[in-house]
Amino acid sequence: MKSGLKELRVGAVVITSAWKLIKMNPAIWAIIALVIIFSAIVPERFLSPSNFVAILKSFAVTSMLAVGPTFVILLGSIDVSYMGIWMFGGALVWLLYPYLGLASIAIYPIFGLLVGLFNGVVHVKAKVPSFILTLAMTALLAFLTTYVRNISGVLTLTVPAYNFLRESPIPYLPSPFLLALPVIVVALFLMFFTKLGTYFCAIGSNEEGAKLAGINVEKYKILAFTLSGLLTGLGSIAIFVHLGCQTRVDFDPSELIRGLAAIVLGGTPLAGGMGGPHRTLLGALVYVLIFNGLFLLPGVDPNHLKLYVGTLLLGAVIAASRALKGALIA
Amino acid sequence: MSTTNSILEVRNISKTFDRVVKALDNVSIEIRRNEIISVVGENGAGKSTLMKILVGIYQPDSGEMYYLGRRIPFPKSPLDALRKGISIVYQERGVIPHLKVYQFLFLGLEEKFTKLGRLQLGKIIGLTQSIFEELGIKCDLASSMYELPPSVQKMVEIARAILSVKLMVEGDGESEVTPIIILDEPTAPLSTEERDALFNYLLNLKKSNSFIFVSHIIPEVMKFSDRIYVLRDGKVVAHHDLSSEKVTEDQLFREIVGRESYYSLWARYVYGVGKAEGKRVVLSVRNLTKKGYFENISFDLHEGECIGFFGPAGCGKSEIARALYGEIFADHGEIIMDGKHVKLKSEPYARIKIGIGYFSGETGKELFLFWPIRKNLSLVNFEKVCKKPLKIISVISFNAERALAEKIMKKLRIRAPSTETECYSLSGGNKQKVSVGKWLEKSPRVLILEDPTIGIDVGAREEIYEVLLEMKGNGIAMILASDDPKEYAILCDKIISLKNGVVQAIYTNEEFRRLMGL
Repeated sequence: MKSGLKELRVGAVVITSAWKLIKMNPAIWAIIALVIIFSAIVPERFLSPSNFVAILKSFAVTSMLAVGPTFVILLGSIDVSYMGIWMFGGALVWLLYPYLGLASIAIYPIFGLLVGLFNGVVHVKAKVPSFILTLAMTALLAFLTTYVRNISGVLTLTVPAYNFLRESPIPYLPSPFLLALPVIVVALFLMFFTKLGTYFCAIGSNEEGAKLAGINVEKYKILAFTLSGLLTGLGSIAIFVHLGCQTRVDFDPSELIRGLAAIVLGGTPLAGGMGGPHRTLLGALVYVLIFNGLFLLPGVDPNHLKLYVGTLLLGAVIAASRALKGALIA
Repeated sequence: MSTTNSILEVRNISKTFDRVVKALDNVSIEIRRNEIISVVGENGAGKSTLMKILVGIYQPDSGEMYYLGRRIPFPKSPLDALRKGISIVYQERGVIPHLKVYQFLFLGLEEKFTKLGRLQLGKIIGLTQSIFEELGIKCDLASSMYELPPSVQKMVEIARAILSVKLMVEGDGESEVTPIIILDEPTAPLSTEERDALFNYLLNLKKSNSFIFVSHIIPEVMKFSDRIYVLRDGKVVAHHDLSSEKVTEDQLFREIVGRESYYSLWARYVYGVGKAEGKRVVLSVRNLTKKGYFENISFDLHEGECIGFFGPAGCGKSEIARALYGEIFADHGEIIMDGKHVKLKSEPYARIKIGIGYFSGETGKELFLFWPIRKNLSLVNFEKVCKKPLKIISVISFNAERALAEKIMKKLRIRAPSTETECYSLSGGNKQKVSVGKWLEKSPRVLILEDPTIGIDVGAREEIYEVLLEMKGNGIAMILASDDPKEYAILCDKIISLKNGVVQAIYTNEEFRRLMGL
């Protein structure tokens, strides 16, 4: 009898903490709803193992574009240089492979870190608005990537030597997902188990207060940009592998939106101060589920998919920011 | 009771916050035609709550409102208050710097000057000109608000408040309405000459308006009011009609401060004062100057000593405190901590490192309202709640964090359900305790206090003083900048009196108390 009571109490604790988790992360509702809707309409296609793998791959790509910049958005700035890091980092790997061999993949995180550091220093010291700065950075790096492709006279910047990375040792867990996992773990660790997460939130919610509480605001801003670049660089390896060991050579704005969409859908407001990589991961899942589910629906023309997703996204982003407002007041 | 002259009257207003804090207790005031009344009181006496009720931001728990003798409901919003003839000019942030003068004057009123969707700029500018002529404001209409001197900005703000009332009010069409304009500490950002200009302006405007002047600067209040209401702890403790009775500044001061309540506090805490002599010097300041704020400030601060900078608002005391913490930078002079020079342009994080802490009672200034108590307390104490598995990585231990928070909450008697309670839901006093609690744990060598007990009730004040005096007893030196003379008497060993940024005199605690009649 007594042990029964104890189990009951443990159960109650589990339920209340689960409820709290959902309440603090409205994106979970969206995930549950999307899974239920698509399972009901196209069960055999949506719930198949191959679709599960597809979702994981897509999730890896989306989250890797979004996790790094989340730290910058937390402190109230914005970083859209991830697109440039991903594209030109790949071009650098391709350029350096003949000299460095397999080690050239390490250029990705190094390049990301340097771009992030540059962004941070220029933003903080020269007081250049972060959006225009990092957008210009992405535009420049995207142009350079296309330029490299054009002067080398090749069609794609592919490094087939890395093809072994595409094989996953674990069934049903695709290699891009496995490559993304350590980045996710690092991001979550930094957010919750070091003072960085607290400091970024502090700066984002009340910069003056953060300064008065003895936080070196400039230093941590630069650090956030650097971290964003580094994590994007690391994450780009997963995307690189996902695309068949090559990088993208033409700029596509929908890929740029993808990262920001995951962040906002997850519930990190662009004004900063709250949220974090955990929410971005949920947001990435929402984004992927919308895309994936719509693709599977009968009668949806894949050519129009981006149009539908764009429209849905607009609605979802408005809903997400409203839901968040409610959470803040409650 | 109400004379024929009375326009607005409120009777027996009470307002309680969080079911505990009684902000207003049976307050009645009356505003007559063409007069300036003053509502004076300390921070936390209930002045701003009363004003917020008058302009419809708060609803009272009980009370009645009468307009020209007729009972009316309390305004439900600032717009509703405007329609009833009441407008307010806030202490700060009322001006929109980049608007042209005429744009600002008619902001929100454009609707009445729009024809077929087009703004009738000519008409607006013409009206602005005639209004300014009538009121005696001299300025270039095409300049932006920020280009005007602060006193003229204030005048334009007041003109705007009057204009809004005139355009929005729901009069009966027969009698002319007298706008009631509430001025919340209007002179705070102004210099002496500018204050005089503003008051001449108000005296001129009195012919067709009534003003409620909210202030704690006694000489001004005495000079320009027709009647004075003194608020203390949410009650009207005195009402003076200056046309029929004579009141001294001293008397008014005592009524505001409340002599009786002061003694009980002071008797308990006076032991903390005067024991610093012969101790080591922690902080030396030599000829510290910031142009336009303070000049040639020099002093030695000993272990366990508290020095207060005292003077009217704008005398430079808060700027000195902020310059010592690095929130603003002094132009020249020396700050020497433990015999080492501190860079004048170093930021707060660098000052904390050498042992200078800062505590402001202003809500939300260095307290993160949407964070749990636990995080607010560990923010400056990370080294105490982190484990270091590797040299470069510090991992936060949540148990240590929670234990730290529990310890501080218990010690300071912070009343909250748990360490995870978000700070915005706490009462003012408990918020302040969280703010000061983080420093209690950090225990800096020097703690700078800016209005440490602003806006909290007497009970919570006592508790904050107790903590501060305990820290002082442990050898922490302090600098105080505040508005409350009692606070200086309780905490300070030495009081440096300032006027316009220049040192006037240096008092011991005893001399200061005698001077203040405390």
